[in-house]
Amino acid sequence: MLGALKIATRRFKDAPSQAFRREICLPFLLETQNSDGGWGNQLGLGTTVEPTCSALLALASASNSGEVTNSVGRGNDWLLAAQLPDGSWPACLGQQAGCWVTSLACLTLHTQGLARSAVARGVRWLCDAWPGEGKLWWRIRNRVFGETFAVKQNHSFRGWSWTPGTSSWTEPTSYALILLRILPEDLLLRSAVRRQRLGEAMLYDRMCSGGGWNCGNPMVYGVAGQPQVGPTVWALLALQDYPDRPENQQSLDWLECAYQHIRGPGSLALAHLCLETYGRPTPPLEPTLQSFFLNNQFFHSVPTMAWVLAALNPTRKYLEPVRRGVTER
Amino acid sequence: MSASANSLLPSFARAPSRVAIQQAASYQADLSAVLFEALREFKLTVQGKVILLKPNFVGLDSDNLAMNTHPAVVGAARESFLRLGARRVIVGEGPALERDSEAIVEAMRLREYIGRLPGTFVDLNVDEVHRVSLKTRASRLKELHLPQAVLQADLVVSMPKLKTHHWAGVTLSLKNMFGIVPGCCYGWPKNILHWAGITQALIDINSTVRPDFVIVDGIVGMEGNGPIQGTPKACGVLVVGDDPVAVDATCVRLMDLVPDRISYLVYAASLLGHLKEEKIQQIGASIDSVRTSFEVIDSFRYLRSPNWRKGWNGNCTDPTTYAPKN
Repeated sequence: MLGALKIATRRFKDAPSQAFRREICLPFLLETQNSDGGWGNQLGLGTTVEPTCSALLALASASNSGEVTNSVGRGNDWLLAAQLPDGSWPACLGQQAGCWVTSLACLTLHTQGLARSAVARGVRWLCDAWPGEGKLWWRIRNRVFGETFAVKQNHSFRGWSWTPGTSSWTEPTSYALILLRILPEDLLLRSAVRRQRLGEAMLYDRMCSGGGWNCGNPMVYGVAGQPQVGPTVWALLALQDYPDRPENQQSLDWLECAYQHIRGPGSLALAHLCLETYGRPTPPLEPTLQSFFLNNQFFHSVPTMAWVLAALNPTRKYLEPVRRGVTER
Repeated sequence: MSASANSLLPSFARAPSRVAIQQAASYQADLSAVLFEALREFKLTVQGKVILLKPNFVGLDSDNLAMNTHPAVVGAARESFLRLGARRVIVGEGPALERDSEAIVEAMRLREYIGRLPGTFVDLNVDEVHRVSLKTRASRLKELHLPQAVLQADLVVSMPKLKTHHWAGVTLSLKNMFGIVPGCCYGWPKNILHWAGITQALIDINSTVRPDFVIVDGIVGMEGNGPIQGTPKACGVLVVGDDPVAVDATCVRLMDLVPDRISYLVYAASLLGHLKEEKIQQIGASIDSVRTSFEVIDSFRYLRSPNWRKGWNGNCTDPTTYAPKN
């Protein structure tokens, strides 16, 4: 594997910049696919759900070549097999409880028009997965201590948590909303519509004061938190049906300003994808990616490489259905 | 895994601990020489071993002001352990709030201090994980998935920044170990630990992977609304030792706060090390000579107040519920 990466690096040094996607990203993702069909977080690591979804989301719309199609097929098979009996997906193998990656898994399958029943079971699990702040003891605590809480936010707006029974946070809520917004009506449970409304309200409630999002604490002890690129991107992608809302525009302004100071390839690719989705101009991506790659080879990260591949795909509609119709596997 | 398995002892059964306070005026000082001498003082057996340095990299701070363990200290520690004969010294961190670890380490210019990052820096948030039964049951967690890099290290060195913390009071070597819990399993932040109770989760994690050695970056610390939004506070010290509780207690004393009022330190002292001053032998500078008063947010004023009485549950997870209203 490492040898393959070195070869890719050598090729890249000689290749014109526009070949980055073809010569670096695609070979990396194909060569880092594990024998079980999935991907690990990094080169050589065991398969888990998130990197597998990231790789599949990028590859499925990257090329129609036989090699890519075969790779995607094997990845989808692994993903389907990893679904837990309750319809959710675990973050890593051995965990018996599903979590935030369920949104990503459903999104990955649904955007390819696959496995309708598996997606439906995943969506049902998501709709039943309420965060911890909705529970009785939380409401009592909130009622008793109310104003003494250090974090001021509207707890009636509930989204999704990273792990079952904990608090709502920006990213898992965004992943779920990104899925729900593209589901056809027949897959949208009545409860999903309510969850969607609450989740969107939660995101707007948690926006940082100058625009943008951090992990989900915009104000602690009266001090405004700083937004971060990743959460801002995911929140904006989740809220893209409201492009003209001032909160969206303010957050896009923040992201545009932050763009030129981004020091990590994953954040850069995601910011690029988000700004393009909203039709905002972006500078060419390749030169900065090249320098990042030569520094650290993206830490051999599968999700990073997948986001970069998606960002460099001129024909892509990232996180949107790429196939019409639904195939049951 | 590190030698932590043999480290759960009640205080009365534990030999007195030693903590060294080394003075260093700035990050331009010869930190390698300072740390090398300090490590030799503790006669650590590192020959041929794999060492994991666990700094506290919280977020993007391109000026290296006070948020993160300074890369110069990390570089000096790495060099010192290699000089002492370590086979391999890796730097591992799993930031709790920022997913893009590459952006964090690039912003702080870590590469300039430890060389090429792939192979040397491990993002603990996305490393291979293994299920581990926790050695204590202070929280309801019972088990966690922990990163391979931590479990396979022969020696784990916690390298926190000297900081106040708006949920826990202070964040030092024990709190720093929250960073070994992988985000890929538990999210950003690792909210499951807050729901389990910061104090309780902290005891469980440190009982399971007790740091074998501690190097605290107190050259410039952070006071006030730490661990991110506080104010830099120059202290000019590196605090080192092989008892994480004793090192943390010493740091709290030099911050002019009272360690017996930090609930997680009190709990930790029952199994993980010494809290009481008479059980800690100071090496190097004395606490009095370097004591620097750290500001704390209102809800932690009781860490300084001489008349404070401990809260009904001794729990620091939500200090506003029992902090004195004065």
